[in-house]
Amino acid sequence: MATAHATAHDDHAHGHVGLEYHPGLPISNGKLIVWLFLSTEIMFFAGLIGTYIVLRFGAPTWPLPHEVHLSEPIGAFNTFVLICSSVSVVLCMESAKKNNTSAAKGWLLTTFVLGCVFLGVKMYEYNAKFSHGIYPMLPHSRIYEKADLNYASAVRLRLEALRSGLDAESAAIKERYAEDPAALEQNADLAEINERLALVTKLTADAQAVETTAATANNVTASRAALNGLANKIMPLGHHPGADAAAAHHGLNDEHHWLKLPIVIPGGNMWASTYFLLTGFHAIHVIVGLIVFAMMIPMTLGVMATGFIENIGLYWHFVDLVWIFLFPLLYLF
Amino acid sequence: MSHHGHQHAHGSMHDDAHAGDHGHDVGISKYIYVFLALCVLTGASFFTYSSLWPFHSQPAIGWTFMMAVSCTKAMLVILFFMHVKYEANWKYVLTIPAAFMSLFLLLALVPDVGMRGRWTAEERQQFMAEPRDAGHGEIVKHGEEHAEEHAEPAAH
Repeated sequence: MATAHATAHDDHAHGHVGLEYHPGLPISNGKLIVWLFLSTEIMFFAGLIGTYIVLRFGAPTWPLPHEVHLSEPIGAFNTFVLICSSVSVVLCMESAKKNNTSAAKGWLLTTFVLGCVFLGVKMYEYNAKFSHGIYPMLPHSRIYEKADLNYASAVRLRLEALRSGLDAESAAIKERYAEDPAALEQNADLAEINERLALVTKLTADAQAVETTAATANNVTASRAALNGLANKIMPLGHHPGADAAAAHHGLNDEHHWLKLPIVIPGGNMWASTYFLLTGFHAIHVIVGLIVFAMMIPMTLGVMATGFIENIGLYWHFVDLVWIFLFPLLYLF
Repeated sequence: MSHHGHQHAHGSMHDDAHAGDHGHDVGISKYIYVFLALCVLTGASFFTYSSLWPFHSQPAIGWTFMMAVSCTKAMLVILFFMHVKYEANWKYVLTIPAAFMSLFLLLALVPDVGMRGRWTAEERQQFMAEPRDAGHGEIVKHGEEHAEEHAEPAAH
């Protein structure tokens, strides 16, 4: 301590301890912080993507993309959108460097719009999953891992619930038109309800027959064939993605959207968990980026703002980078 | 004293801004080339999905190809868009450890998570999905789907 003091004293001949601060790295503090943050982000996404890869290849089976309503062209389009937005951020920075504020603002708005397009497409994709009963968890998820008795009874329970619901609706309509049998006769709602009831009755009989066969069959093969037949009727599986994706839309659930019967997707639960977690965290990052871009819109994007644009640009490129890996891993593997 | 320190930091930031300007010499055209390369590479990984891709029966080839393409795209983005190509040596301090840690993290997950299916309780196995080639006719390999369609019209 005394030595340090003496040295300081010798060097500068002031009366106090002097410490000379050299920046550890030849970059601005803001940029250093962004890079440190990004290295934690690398670890964060490495954990998520790594877990996905390990789960994916450790799983006994994994759904084909079209079975979980993944569209590869849409994924490729979104990749393209993000790449374009990366370019526009870079061009925004270049314009700011030249103090061309209006061009910089234009590129910033382009980036913002492209980010919104990405999120819009993502929402559309999520909706396609949700409308088919693919959720990461109960109570909304209708995914069963295999066609077994548990599944068959779930189908029957759903049909019974539908039936009682339809019965109640039908009774309500009949009560409303109790004094006017002619109007009741003409009621379109009632006709539709009766149509649905007929279908539900038929399907319940089918499901019960399958359940009985499966429970009483002498051999496992016959039992499984019956159960797989039921699952296939509700949602057919197992066609090659490129070949005929439309084939997946010929099940009962797609012909009658109101049925919402339980579906069999082998590996579907794990798929849904990983898909929604990975794309969800990525989407959160996109939203955060968009919030910053929105805050930048009223700013003057001249030379003074270059450092700030560079920092948000680094973050945005990282978000693009994550998607570059997510796209093939989620859509094409 | 503190004034001196302040000046020093300021000077270094100024130098940094100049270092950035050197990259600028290459101009906008560089970004356009990188953008075109990224588009071509995205097309290349999407090509594995098309029916022209010759290795549908050996998915490992497609996976390797796609990962190689993704790594190339990532390098392009990191080097040019994130300007890492023009940064000083500090870039290695941040990127190399993070890259190694990510790799270790992945390897550390393998025994617990990746191999979890090898030792499962019977109660759990009851509800687990089965491998597709366990064979109940619902599984179709590429090229056989038409035979399947004819064999099981009830499926539609």
